[in-house]
Amino acid sequence: MKKPIELTVNDELMQVEVEPQTTLLELIRDGLHLTGTKEGCGMGDCGTCIVLVDGKPVNSCLMLAADARGRSVTTIEGLAKGAELHPLQQSFIDQGAVQCGFCSPAMILSAKALLDEDPHPTEETIKRALSGVLCRCGSYKKIIAAVQAASPKES
Amino acid sequence: METWIGRSVPRLDGREKVTGQAVYTVDVELPNMLHAAVLRSTRPHARIVDLDVSGAQSVPGVKAVVTGRDFPYTHGGMIKDQPFIAFDRVRYVGEVVAAVAAETEAIAQEAAARIRVRYEDLAAVFDPKEALAADAPILHEGMADYPHSPLYENIPGTNVCTIRTFTKGDVQTGFAEADAVYDDEFYIHAVAHTPMETHAAVAQHSPADGGYTVWSSSDGPHRRSKELAEALGLPVNKVRVLSTYSGGGFGGKGTLVAEATVVALAAFTGGRPVKMIFSREEELSAAQTRHAAYLRIKTGVKKDGTLVARSADLIWDKGAYASKGPDVTYRGAMTIFGPYRIPNLEVRSRLVYTNKQIAGAYRGYGVTQVTWACEAQMDMIAQRLGIDPVALRLKNCYVENDTFINGQVMKAVGLTETLQRAAREIGWGTPKAAASGPLRRGRGIATTLKGTATPTESQCVIIAAMDGSVTLLTSAVEVGAGQHTALAQIAAETIGVDPTTINVPNSDTFNTPYQFGTTSSRVTFHDGNAVRRAGERIRKRILEIAGEILQTDPGRLSMVNGRISEEGVGERAGIKEVFSQKFPRGGMIVEHGSYCPAGSELLKADPGMPQGLSSAFWMFATHAAEVEVDVETGIVKVLKVAAAHDVGRVVNPQLCEQQIEGSVVMGISNTLMEEFKLDRGRVLNNTLADYKLATMMDLPEIVAIMVEAGHPEGPYGAKGAGEPAVAPTAPAIAGAIFDAIGVRITDLPITPEKIRAALKKAPC
Repeated sequence: MKKPIELTVNDELMQVEVEPQTTLLELIRDGLHLTGTKEGCGMGDCGTCIVLVDGKPVNSCLMLAADARGRSVTTIEGLAKGAELHPLQQSFIDQGAVQCGFCSPAMILSAKALLDEDPHPTEETIKRALSGVLCRCGSYKKIIAAVQAASPKES
Repeated sequence: METWIGRSVPRLDGREKVTGQAVYTVDVELPNMLHAAVLRSTRPHARIVDLDVSGAQSVPGVKAVVTGRDFPYTHGGMIKDQPFIAFDRVRYVGEVVAAVAAETEAIAQEAAARIRVRYEDLAAVFDPKEALAADAPILHEGMADYPHSPLYENIPGTNVCTIRTFTKGDVQTGFAEADAVYDDEFYIHAVAHTPMETHAAVAQHSPADGGYTVWSSSDGPHRRSKELAEALGLPVNKVRVLSTYSGGGFGGKGTLVAEATVVALAAFTGGRPVKMIFSREEELSAAQTRHAAYLRIKTGVKKDGTLVARSADLIWDKGAYASKGPDVTYRGAMTIFGPYRIPNLEVRSRLVYTNKQIAGAYRGYGVTQVTWACEAQMDMIAQRLGIDPVALRLKNCYVENDTFINGQVMKAVGLTETLQRAAREIGWGTPKAAASGPLRRGRGIATTLKGTATPTESQCVIIAAMDGSVTLLTSAVEVGAGQHTALAQIAAETIGVDPTTINVPNSDTFNTPYQFGTTSSRVTFHDGNAVRRAGERIRKRILEIAGEILQTDPGRLSMVNGRISEEGVGERAGIKEVFSQKFPRGGMIVEHGSYCPAGSELLKADPGMPQGLSSAFWMFATHAAEVEVDVETGIVKVLKVAAAHDVGRVVNPQLCEQQIEGSVVMGISNTLMEEFKLDRGRVLNNTLADYKLATMMDLPEIVAIMVEAGHPEGPYGAKGAGEPAVAPTAPAIAGAIFDAIGVRITDLPITPEKIRAALKKAPC
């Protein structure tokens, strides 16, 4: 039976109705039609469905939509400010960190969560933070470079 | 000096991909769309005695349940041996037995689970060597009747799907003249393509005209259209294939997979579209794999390392249906001699049906498999003769104007430079780090060559619209390698506009012209040539229009980045101003370009030799690896890979680096981590938790080196990149392990268990 919940998605407060078994991923893709979030396995193994919940990366296939009640969800569609890309999005383009692009939203959001917490991570820290997302194109080297290049400059 | 060739222009699809706007097949939504689920065979080989779909039909929300009897067609681009849906017989665990279309995916899944099947098991065979035995169970008794090209000779009454042979010189004489003859057998395992976007497709049938529209991330939309049309007895102008972005393919999306199921269902839904997305379990157990192979090679060699003869006997594991196997294994078989001058050659290659998941095209197209055997044996020969592995390769490898095995004179051969630069980068011949505790360091090197599908056709259309903006219509699919960006750069260079202003929409077989496929690393060369030809025509017409508007001789005009200049005068106008004046009430100019190397002098073979072995261009690659082996655990850590690729003139260095770096990661993953665990043909490790892929934690230092042997017929000298890239990684790692601990692994994958077992036999 559907139940109403209130949550914030990409800074917009919304009320939606969800079944108890609906995952956050299903709500995002099928309910809200935000298809930038991808499903790669549905079991929490590949990381392509990662979104930010209250700023932390979460495999949205493993979280129930009902558990997002009252929380703030950020998907890839919520990163750019109008026509202006988020520095990580721009950096992924500039550094050639995108190939097929299917993992790019999850990589970028994982990197955002990392940089928000640790603006100047080491290479090892970046690897650990992003290793939950698989990229079969094997863009790992350039993704690390993109995160490093998007790291805010020390003033 | 070119403006746009050789520059790392940011990929045209970058912005869509980083903002989540890029539409993949899994994202396609249509009005009234239904969702599919299938019931898959649980038996490796069985007759379907009874199939009761009434339970599925009675589930509310179910719109169609389709079996092989309802849709009795077969498909196959090379051999028509594969039913859209199993017809009274299953030949592997995972084969589609029945399909359901329903209002939601959950309803379709529930309905599929209510279908009842009674099987009568048949004897099954899982190993291609066993499948060659005289008393082996036969998978395809009716093989002789399957429509197939005469190129693919089969042996009716056996499991031999195709057999190919090649002979040159006399190997027996060669072996007799050799100082030593080495006879070794190697095994290479099957691996999964594992694109992050699983197989998916949407199909819609038009009851009015009997045609189909299919949305797919297949790498060859026109060939899929042709295969569907041939299978269903329709003209190709009734089978429209629309490409979306592809979330990775690596060869696995080069045949009808999900497409076959949704087309069968769509025939029964009264015009409602049907969508199917493979679950990850289906992707790992019922999509396609790389062909596993037993590779026996016998090589005769002089004391100084000169190769004089090689014979090879190759047995490839086909799985249940042909897919692209006949061609994959032909390409592989004809590359078993490596990039080396060997006067006496003989090969027999047999592709053998087994009751397993279907093997198909996989990055490298057979060349990855044979490179494993060829290069591992080169190392073993070097070791046995006491010759340096790099020196042995340099002594025998192809150089400019050498002839391929059929006599084709090879042009743009940068192989030597790839060997030298990869060796230098890895520190070949310099002291290694000393052993530390249980850790041992070693270095290895391997090289390869790969041809491209030849002769094949590519066409394109270029439009300059009423405001002077340019659109390139191509059926080359943006599979992630940057095809659209590279083609836009070639168009921009030729026409004289900025590539980032060129529009390259995803393809549609009703609206974008034929091209053979985004396969075989062929797009930059073939489609690039077509684009260059169309671009030259467009440029000529733009300058004619400019001459008319500016009232001057077009021969005095030139254009760079959309700005038109007159000789001796300077800049006169922009393309936009000129076109606005030419087309005040709208209009456009349209030009076509095509390229196919058929008939080119460059493909000429020796008399009596098959010209089909000639390649429009040859790619060469050398990988050198440094590894660290833990002799206590057997764990291998790859520390560094220097990957030198001769790709011809580089169109976009950043895109080229992506191919090289990515392939090293894939190669490491294939070699050290990936392996199917099977129980009577059933995949036991069908999740990404159990089928391991390389993660960011496994990334070594990668140095991508681009060698540019410009090709005389390539667009601006370009050849190709991507396909040969995985091949040398496995043998380079195996060589490095031998260098570290004196253990030679000859069967892939290389696991800690195998290393430890080998060390027990011969402790280092």
